Amino acid sequence: MLKRVIAEAKRAFGLQSPGRNMAVFPDDTFLVSYPKSGNTWARFLIANLVRPNEKIDFSNVNRVIPGPEVTRNRDLIRLPRPRIVKSHQYFDPRYPRIIYIVRDPRDVVVSQYHFQRKRKLLADHFPLPEFVRLFLTGQTCFYGSWGEHVASWLATRHGTPGFLLLRYEDMIQDTAQELSKVACFLNLPATPDLLERAVDRSSADRMRQLEKSQAQLFTSTKDTRQDIPFVRAAKPGGWQSSLPPECAAQIEQAWGQIIQWLGYELLSGERAGSSDSAFPVSAMGGPLR
Amino acid sequence: MIYGVKRIIKYVLGTDIAGRNLAVYPDDTFIVSYPRSGNTWTRFLVANLVYPGQPVTFADIERLIPDCEAQSSRYLKRVARPRIIKSHEYFDPRYKKVIYIVRDPRDVALSYYDFARMYRQIEDGHPLASYVSDFVAGRLSSADWGTWGENVATWVSARNGRPGFLLLRYEDMLSNPAPELAKVASFLGIDPAPERLAAAIERSSADRMRKWEAKQGERWVSTRNKRSDIPFVRTAASGLWRSKLPPSSIAEIESAWGALMKSLGYELTVGKAVSEGNRAGAALPELVKERT
Repeated sequence: MLKRVIAEAKRAFGLQSPGRNMAVFPDDTFLVSYPKSGNTWARFLIANLVRPNEKIDFSNVNRVIPGPEVTRNRDLIRLPRPRIVKSHQYFDPRYPRIIYIVRDPRDVVVSQYHFQRKRKLLADHFPLPEFVRLFLTGQTCFYGSWGEHVASWLATRHGTPGFLLLRYEDMIQDTAQELSKVACFLNLPATPDLLERAVDRSSADRMRQLEKSQAQLFTSTKDTRQDIPFVRAAKPGGWQSSLPPECAAQIEQAWGQIIQWLGYELLSGERAGSSDSAFPVSAMGGPLR
Repeated sequence: MIYGVKRIIKYVLGTDIAGRNLAVYPDDTFIVSYPRSGNTWTRFLVANLVYPGQPVTFADIERLIPDCEAQSSRYLKRVARPRIIKSHEYFDPRYKKVIYIVRDPRDVALSYYDFARMYRQIEDGHPLASYVSDFVAGRLSSADWGTWGENVATWVSARNGRPGFLLLRYEDMLSNPAPELAKVASFLGIDPAPERLAAAIERSSADRMRKWEAKQGERWVSTRNKRSDIPFVRTAASGLWRSKLPPSSIAEIESAWGALMKSLGYELTVGKAVSEGNRAGAALPELVKERT
C-alpha cells in the first residue's frame, strides 16, 4: 500500500520515467527500435548532427535525445520542442513521426544475452539456447518479442510519410548515406562535412573510449559489470560464429517471413517455417530488398 | 497539482479505470476487437458457453466477462481466476491468450456512426462522410485504441498463426456460428458438444440481446445514461455498407486499408482491377488460409 502511494506520488509529480504513459506532442519525432538494435549509436549520430558544436558523449546524450524509459517525466515535458525522443516501445498510435531501426534478430539475441550478463540479470554460465527460447517468446524484456515489435510497427506504418525504416546493417555499411536519410527526414542541414563529422564523432572506437571513462554517467551502463562492454562488436553477422545453428534455425522458424522481407538471408534456405504465416506480406507491398 | 493528488488517491484506492494499465495475469484470456466488431455478442456467446448454468444478461456480463476499459483496477483484481476479459486495446504483448474478432471496416464505420449518436458524441444530422473521414484518420475519441487498421494489423501481424491466438471474422460468426463457436470452445479447452454450442448460440441471439437491452439498458455500464432511442444491439447483419455508405467513403476506407482488408478476405469494390493486378508476387490470402 505505502509502496503504491510512493510510486504514484512520484508519477504524479513527474519524478518517474513514464514509459508508455508518456505525453506525446504532435511535433515529436521518435527514434524507435527493439533493444540492442543500434539505438544508442543512432542517438550519437543524430545528436551530433543536431548539435554540431557540442561534442556528444554518454554524459549528455540523454539530454539531447531523452527517452520515456530513461528520462523523468518532468524533464521530458520541459524539453525544448520539437523533441527527438528515443524509445523501445512496440507500436504506439500516438507517435507522429518515427525513425525505426531494425537489426537481424540473430544478432540481436546474442547482443541482448551479453547485455543482460553485463546488467547482472544473467549468470555467465546461463545457457544461450535457453536464452534464445525466452527471447522467442518475448520474455527477455518488457517490449514484446522481436517479431511482435517489428511486425507491430511495420504492419501499421511502413510506407506512410512519417515513417523512416533503417537497417542497422546498412548503417554499418554506409553510415553517412543512412544518416543523410535521417537528416532529410528531420529537415536538418546535411552537407558532406557535417555528416562526416557526426559519423566520426559517433564511431565505435570513440564510443568505446568514452564508455571507459563515462560508464557511471550513462543510464544503461551505470552500476553494471565493467568487464563486459556496452559498445560491443559493432559488426553485423556475429551470430554466424556465436549462435548455435539450432538456435538460428528456431529464430528463422519463428520469424522467417519478416526476416526475409527485411532482406536478411536465411540459413535454412529459401522459405523458412510457416509459423509466421501471420506476417501479412501481401499487405506490406513488395519486400524491402 | 490537484489533478496529481486526485490521481494518487484514485490509484491507491484502485478506482482508476484499468484500460492499458490493467495488471495482466498469465492465465488470463482476452476477447479483443476494435469497437463495433461483435465483441459484446462474443462475450455473450462465450459466457453462455463457459457458464452454462448461469443467467447471462447485461446485468451479469460485467461479472462474468468484465470490460477492462469500463471497470476499475480494483474490480478486475477481484475477479476470480482464470479471468476472461473484454478489451479493445491494440496489440499488447502481455496478453498471452487472445480471441480476436475482426469485422469488415465498412460495416464497422456505419455501426460506429450510430454508436456515436447514441453516446451523444455527434448530432443526428452529422454528415456520415465526414464521420468516416475521422474514422479513417484516427480522429475519433477512441483514438487511443488505434484506428481500425492499426488495431487489426498490430494483432494479426504479431500473433496470427501462433499458439494462443484465435482469429475470428464477425461475418463467419453471423453466417454460421456453430463452427466458429466450436473453435472458441477448443481454444478454451471446453468440449465442443453440439448441444452445448447450440444452447449458447440460442441464448445469445440478437433477439434475446435486444430484449435484455430494452429491459436493462440502465443497468449496463456501456448503455447507461445514453440515448435509449438508438439501440446498442443494432442490425446484427453484414454488408449494409453496400447500400448505406457513400461511394466516396467506401473508396476512402479501401484506399487506407485495402491490402489488409484483402488479406482478411474482404472483397474490395474500388480499383478492383488494380488490386488484382498487384497480386502477382503475394501469396494470398495467407491470413485466411488457416481458417479454411
